[in-house]
Amino acid sequence: MTRSWPIVAAAAAALAIPLAVRDGYIVQLLNIAILNAIVVLGLNFVTGWAGQINFGQAAFYGLGAYTTAIATKAGLPWIATPLLSIVVVIAASLVLGLPTMRLRTYYLAMTTIGFGEIVRLIIVHWEPVTGGTSGLRAIPGISLFGFGPHGQLQHYYLLITTLALAVLIAWRIRNSALGRAMIATRDSEIAAEQSGVDTARTKLLAFMIGAAYAGLAGCLYASSIRFISPDSFSGIQAILLMTMLIVGGMGSIVGCVIGAVALTILPEALRFLGQWYLVLYGLGVIAVIALAPGGLASLASMMPLRRAGAR
Amino acid sequence: MTTDSIITARGVTRRFGGLVALDGIDLDVPRGIVQAVIGPNGSGKTTLLNALSGASHADAGSIRIGGEEIFRLKPHRIARLGLARTFQTIRIFENLSVIENVKVAAACNRPTSLFNIAMANARHKNSEAEIDRNAREALETVGLAGRANHRATQLPYAQQRLLEIARALASKPNVLLLDEPAAGMNMTESMTLLETIARLRNSGITVLLVEHNVRLVMGISDRVTVLDFGRKIAEGTPSEVQRNPQVIEAYLGRRHRHA
Repeated sequence: MTRSWPIVAAAAAALAIPLAVRDGYIVQLLNIAILNAIVVLGLNFVTGWAGQINFGQAAFYGLGAYTTAIATKAGLPWIATPLLSIVVVIAASLVLGLPTMRLRTYYLAMTTIGFGEIVRLIIVHWEPVTGGTSGLRAIPGISLFGFGPHGQLQHYYLLITTLALAVLIAWRIRNSALGRAMIATRDSEIAAEQSGVDTARTKLLAFMIGAAYAGLAGCLYASSIRFISPDSFSGIQAILLMTMLIVGGMGSIVGCVIGAVALTILPEALRFLGQWYLVLYGLGVIAVIALAPGGLASLASMMPLRRAGAR
Repeated sequence: MTTDSIITARGVTRRFGGLVALDGIDLDVPRGIVQAVIGPNGSGKTTLLNALSGASHADAGSIRIGGEEIFRLKPHRIARLGLARTFQTIRIFENLSVIENVKVAAACNRPTSLFNIAMANARHKNSEAEIDRNAREALETVGLAGRANHRATQLPYAQQRLLEIARALASKPNVLLLDEPAAGMNMTESMTLLETIARLRNSGITVLLVEHNVRLVMGISDRVTVLDFGRKIAEGTPSEVQRNPQVIEAYLGRRHRHA
């Protein structure tokens, strides 16, 4: 029972915060932070656990968003779009994943950056369908059999519930044979193979699960923000997602959420500094990496109530 | 003997550029014994182990494990056929706890279903419970049960070697390949290790032991194979091998015959 108090505290805080701030703009920001957290959780399967660098995650996010936007604008009922976005993005992850399974490090980084750029260029140039650089507006909202959230606050509660589910599934995978196989693959591919782990399959599964998270987040982004443009899913966004993972704590589920929320809110909180905010932001990121290489999540374990080792 | 060999290798050859690391090795390992492969540095011991386990495939030859041809099979397929191994340079999973390291191998022959994991249903829970049991049993065998929840990297060097053995055992192998398991161990630790190896043999596991330290293996091995420059130069009981003039020559030097 004593071990569940952090979860209860986190849940209580998550439910109370938007009621406390009562500011539509901040709640909207929190909503984007939650969506980013889901995408970073997805990235964590691939990069944090299976150890495969991936700068294609923003493109998967974008593919999920554009799939839902285009489909609902064409009249498809919303209820079909989460699954549709996930299926489209998983298919894209196979297109990227299958031929690049053998690549590592710089080569994989280059390939995934290239993939992201291809997706961005298609979105920018396929104007009749994607709206080009000006994006798509007036995307139909979330609607389940005629019921749907109204206003930022209701969207917030829907999104935070989705995030809780995403965390739960990530946690279950982490504590299963599949999660251990992912981390084993990262730590020593040859030792994992000799222990009976099909490392090629494990890496591909991590890639597909990560893409599915991005696809779902993309779907929810399109139908809760209701406006999308290529800028939100560019290469810069891919680097930002990777930074969230590193600053939060590579391989840590809690770290993914902390990193995504911190790096979504921080630029807005520092806005009063004008152009100087980037300097402070950069210094902050460097400070975390230098002082806590395990990310913000590792700071918690440095406190006196240290839990006994890994589970 | 060949009829009840668990490992049957024929003409195993491995070249690295111009160097012939294994030159047509034939190897028969009878079921249920401890067989050592010894030889000077660079004689091909680890290369042979890598060829048997699929870590680095042979260029030519045939390798059967329990009657099944494994030549060029991926290492995880060979592992699932009942061959486990440890490494000369330790390769533990640094980001997993001690028991999780072992659980990776304990899941060896279990299909993972993403659906079952996500639902955390009874099938998943039963499977994880059995993995946990097997892993704890393997840790018990090597005497690391008390360390289950430590981070693997917190273990001292000798215990990391034992952890590798526990991990290998967790896949319930028929054949266990140990690559210099006593490297870096002191005398007491080595003695305990030998006792563990003897216990494993008594439980029915065939052990193929690569060792640089000849004296260490003579006591425990039922059969000894001696390699030199990628060729098998002798094979037999420890006492036969020790009296073999070619073996003495290989160990004492006189390399000019190869020059």
